[in-house]
Amino acid sequence: MKRYLSTFLICAAFLSFLASARPLHVVAAYPYIGDLVEKIGGSNVRVFSLARGDYNPHVIIPRPSFIAHIRGADLLIISGAQLEIGWMPPLLRQANNPAVQTGEPGFMDLSQYVTLIDVPTSVSREQGDVHPEGNPHFYLDPENILPIAKAIKDKLIQLDSRNASYYESRYREFSDLWGKKLVEWTQKMAPLRNTRVVEYHKNYDYFLRRYKLQIAGTVEPLPGIPPTSKHIEHLEAVLTAAPARFILQDVYNPDDASRHLAEKLNMKLVVLPHDVGSVKETNSIFSLFDELVRRMTE
Amino acid sequence: MRRNILLLFLLSLFVMPARSQEAPTPAQGSPFSQAKFVPDISLILDCSYLHRNISDEQNSGLFLPGYVVSREDALPRESFNLNYAEITFYSVVDPYFELFAVCHLSEEHFHLEEAYWLTKKLPAGLQLKAGKFLSSFGRINELHTHYWDFADRPLVHQAMFGEEGLNEIGARITWVAPTEIYLLAGGEMLMGANEASFGRTGFPLPQEKRSISSVKGPGLFVGYLESSVDIGDASVLVRLSGAHGTTRSEEDFSSGAPMGRAFAGSTTVLGGALTVKHTLDAIRYISLQSEYLWRHTDGTSYFNDFTQQVQQSALDNRQSGLYAQAVMKFDLRVRGGLRFDLLQGNEVTENGQRRDLPENLPRFSGMIEFNPTEFSRVRLQYNYDLSRYSETNQQLNRMTVHELSLQVNLAIGAHGAHSF
Repeated sequence: MKRYLSTFLICAAFLSFLASARPLHVVAAYPYIGDLVEKIGGSNVRVFSLARGDYNPHVIIPRPSFIAHIRGADLLIISGAQLEIGWMPPLLRQANNPAVQTGEPGFMDLSQYVTLIDVPTSVSREQGDVHPEGNPHFYLDPENILPIAKAIKDKLIQLDSRNASYYESRYREFSDLWGKKLVEWTQKMAPLRNTRVVEYHKNYDYFLRRYKLQIAGTVEPLPGIPPTSKHIEHLEAVLTAAPARFILQDVYNPDDASRHLAEKLNMKLVVLPHDVGSVKETNSIFSLFDELVRRMTE
Repeated sequence: MRRNILLLFLLSLFVMPARSQEAPTPAQGSPFSQAKFVPDISLILDCSYLHRNISDEQNSGLFLPGYVVSREDALPRESFNLNYAEITFYSVVDPYFELFAVCHLSEEHFHLEEAYWLTKKLPAGLQLKAGKFLSSFGRINELHTHYWDFADRPLVHQAMFGEEGLNEIGARITWVAPTEIYLLAGGEMLMGANEASFGRTGFPLPQEKRSISSVKGPGLFVGYLESSVDIGDASVLVRLSGAHGTTRSEEDFSSGAPMGRAFAGSTTVLGGALTVKHTLDAIRYISLQSEYLWRHTDGTSYFNDFTQQVQQSALDNRQSGLYAQAVMKFDLRVRGGLRFDLLQGNEVTENGQRRDLPENLPRFSGMIEFNPTEFSRVRLQYNYDLSRYSETNQQLNRMTVHELSLQVNLAIGAHGAHSF
């Protein structure tokens, strides 16, 4: 009897050791989140990013294989502000994982840790694809990355407190480096202050505001609605009266209208990444902003 | 104890004034307002304009030979159609439950198409669902019409489950396996009241002084297994389903009317579904989808002849059919697709005698749609239908039906995201 008991205890101890040695499984909605989690979680986390960085973040195809990843997750991190509203809810519902349901410690919405801009006072779908909580592309403001990274660090500590000091030190390392990069990017972007630019979609508002560029208009007549000839004519009139220097185009929307405008009005067409993995140069959160700055200043 | 009370009292002296210093913001509206708890409500409206080469009367007289499909009021009709308006409600109930309801409204009818709850917190990858819902059998059955790539139900689903699909009262349990590869198993216990395959209400046999009993408890059981893998930019989804249940049907039989018919027995349906979605870039994709269904019905059919005598015969039907479709998203707002329907096997055996019924009944469809936004859709669809027959002097005649429809489908309100 005693022998059975001791075998049982050894087994139990071994199992609990295995459980503790198992890295935290984190599922990230977008690659930039996945990269941040890896930066802070290091070898104590196993990260899977659902969406591709070069696709439209609003319309990700909810592949059934994502369900298996969410089923096995200890932590699900979304960007939030309704960016995932068109694809995440059914996945979460089908994954049958109580740990990562909304409101649980295993569910995290990053938009809660930053201040959103352009929060509409009233919403109507006449205005196109509007987000009632504000512009959801907040992660393209490099200053917003630090509060997000800190929130991720706090979350990892909450779920895996035994490795608290590990996460703390990796976060400190990250934030020191990020602080230096912020200075560098500010210096590089300084000459572009007050430059007028046109965007295809309101993707880069946070980035442009941070470095005090002026947004002269968008190629889309309304968020999510492809350009119409009438709107392009209107934009041409606006830009002839008050010229802009760049047209900023994302990697996933057709660029015909932007190219037409750029040629006609002698503006520079700049294709910008919007996430980690958007273009081949952006394989991490650092190179995402390096590349954004490089393409703007080159 | 007394010291604690004293301490509390002293503490409260500090807390009280601090509280009153915070300027109380006047509540807006009623202090008991629950306005913020309004569930997600949406309204979907589906209208179409349809043209056929035959009249509505002729169309209503057509049927699929060997299948019991009542088409007395075949829809949609020639010219303008209000196909449906659908009101959906969704909200989490509390931390443990979610609730969905879909009310299907037609011009004169209101019916509860679905109303069910789902669990949020079951452990071990389990989830329970109960109420009235569309069965997860196959691929297309559990999806609302609004989600479909074509305006109408595939022929094989129409033939085997009727115009309403397999929509039942009951319960479902699903389990998602804790594996790297997505694997889902589901089981449903349903009442089994389907116009085309299952039934639960018995009927009297006056001559034999006995009756065919009604089904006690659930009469239909459905099981399914689903898995998916990604191959590069393609997602492949496979689902195998099986359904077994009691069949009871009756048409003017218990009243003793001549030509009245009834059937009692059981039905098994097996199905395989394959979906492949391949993204070409951030906007364009190609989606291929196919389902194969096989049905076996076994039992006794009863028939009142003109002398009011009941004729009995043993019936054994083995029928099968499939559809295959390809849909492509060409552009941000444009999609087009082709669909092929086939009712393939049609083996109806009465008292050991095989009836001479046509097999391989096809239908061909093509559609092109324009989606101004994700909330609006305009779809043009053409059907070339060779599956319908009419009967004159006990002779089956195939009728070629051309159908052209222009459909507008709009959604307002808080409409939930679509799954894969």
